[in-house]
Amino acid sequence: MPKSFSSFLQLAIFYLKLNFKSQSEYRVAFFWQIVSMAINDSIWLFFWMFFFDRFPVLGNWNQRDVVAMWSVLAAGYGLGTALAGNSNNVATLILKGELDSWLLYPRAVLPHLLLGRMSVSSWGDFLFGVGAYLFLVHPSIENFLLFALLVPIVGVTVVGFSVGVGSLGFFLGSAETISENLRFALITFGTYPPSIFSGAAKILLYTVVPAGICSYLPVEALRQNSLELALLAAGGSMIVLFVGSAIFYAGLAKYESGSLIKLQS
Amino acid sequence: MRVLRKYLLVALLSARSNVVYLSEVVGRLLFLGVILYIFSRLWIAVYSHAGSHQVADLSIVQMIWYLVATEAMMLSGPRVSAAVDLDVRSGTIVNYLQRPLSYPLYCLSHNLGERTVRFFINLLVGSIIAYVLVGPLALSWNSVAFFLLALPLAFAVDFLSGFLIGLGAFWFEDTSGMNLIYSRMTMIFGGMLFPLSIFPDNVRPVLEWLPFSAVVYGPAKLFVSPSVGEFLSILARQSLAAVVFAILVYWIYGRASKRVFVNGG
Repeated sequence: MPKSFSSFLQLAIFYLKLNFKSQSEYRVAFFWQIVSMAINDSIWLFFWMFFFDRFPVLGNWNQRDVVAMWSVLAAGYGLGTALAGNSNNVATLILKGELDSWLLYPRAVLPHLLLGRMSVSSWGDFLFGVGAYLFLVHPSIENFLLFALLVPIVGVTVVGFSVGVGSLGFFLGSAETISENLRFALITFGTYPPSIFSGAAKILLYTVVPAGICSYLPVEALRQNSLELALLAAGGSMIVLFVGSAIFYAGLAKYESGSLIKLQS
Repeated sequence: MRVLRKYLLVALLSARSNVVYLSEVVGRLLFLGVILYIFSRLWIAVYSHAGSHQVADLSIVQMIWYLVATEAMMLSGPRVSAAVDLDVRSGTIVNYLQRPLSYPLYCLSHNLGERTVRFFINLLVGSIIAYVLVGPLALSWNSVAFFLLALPLAFAVDFLSGFLIGLGAFWFEDTSGMNLIYSRMTMIFGGMLFPLSIFPDNVRPVLEWLPFSAVVYGPAKLFVSPSVGEFLSILARQSLAAVVFAILVYWIYGRASKRVFVNGG
């Protein structure tokens, strides 16, 4: 297990370097994608701060918690999808038969496939999240360390969920739109305060669409400076990753390959 | 008449191809359901906290039906700028230049055909969801007529904005960032997520004169709270935006076409 984890880390570092080099060839596009995503997130955040200032319906939360929610989710989503850029493309890869080329490598298919692409704009999310938390929340060192621990936890949740919904393509054929909209649903639910949801909706938000694991629980951990809640979120993220991977491999077992002949660049 | 017929056929073909892919339709409707559910919860919390039947000049029923109208409009919009960007970057645009049709008009008819079908499906499903969530909206003939009459220009202005951004691919390495910011401005300052009446009195008149409000807020406001004066004012603003953007498209597309070079035999 330690050997395979170190091999995975080596592969991750190799792909990170390779993807950075290839993406930064188009330097202007590279920086503009990052900057525009950070601007986009900032517009959202400032709007919601205005909204919740005008209509204070945050329950026991305050404006600082809204910033924390956006920060931890944006940074986690950014880190996860920047490193595992193909997590958002699983349904497309299945539909277009582009999965075939990944099956030829002597590597575990899923981690290799996920690391194979970098989402440049996601670095904008990551930088926005870290910057907003530092400059708007003004955390203590201890609180910022907790934030740094929660960011990869949120990233794992988002990637695991994206893999799971993308893998619906194995069973449905074309699942591009449905998986994209389920990913949007996760992010949308994750950026509203939990005080507006109740009853069965809350149960769904910790299970089917795990916004509770990638947003509400981390914010609560940050509010209370609680390592226990952070570890609970970590446990939840592992379950989401496990379920997502299980759906992927169950689908892969019945995958009959595409007939498209294509050279991978 | 023959000229119009070919663009009408493009629109019909595009409309028909949009009802074929059922999973696409289901995916979009799923997200529409999620959005309407979240916003109904949010606004119910706002009205309950305010202890008033009217917030931002609308009742809770009008507010949710306003959202049905805005979401039906915006979720029906094809990704114009991404399609134009791809045509320019891949060189596919050359295929259109040698056909006996105008590329911008081809894209407009394709866009309107696709959007009309999606819009009416979204509106139907959104209306059912809103009916279940908050009950019926007191509709008048005026509200339906004004709304439907304001839609074509709203869709045209939205298309022209996206087309202009896509043409940027002739000069810039990447246009996705510009499109992201445009879409965010439309969501927030165009009134997609909330009516502009929630903004302070000194900001609102400026926002109402921006083209974003001609695309979303104007038609949706007519749907839930129609008035002849408002209808004429919205038509005037839409016409102004459409004329300005059409001139810009004509000028920029003319300059861009001169940058197309065809190599090879």
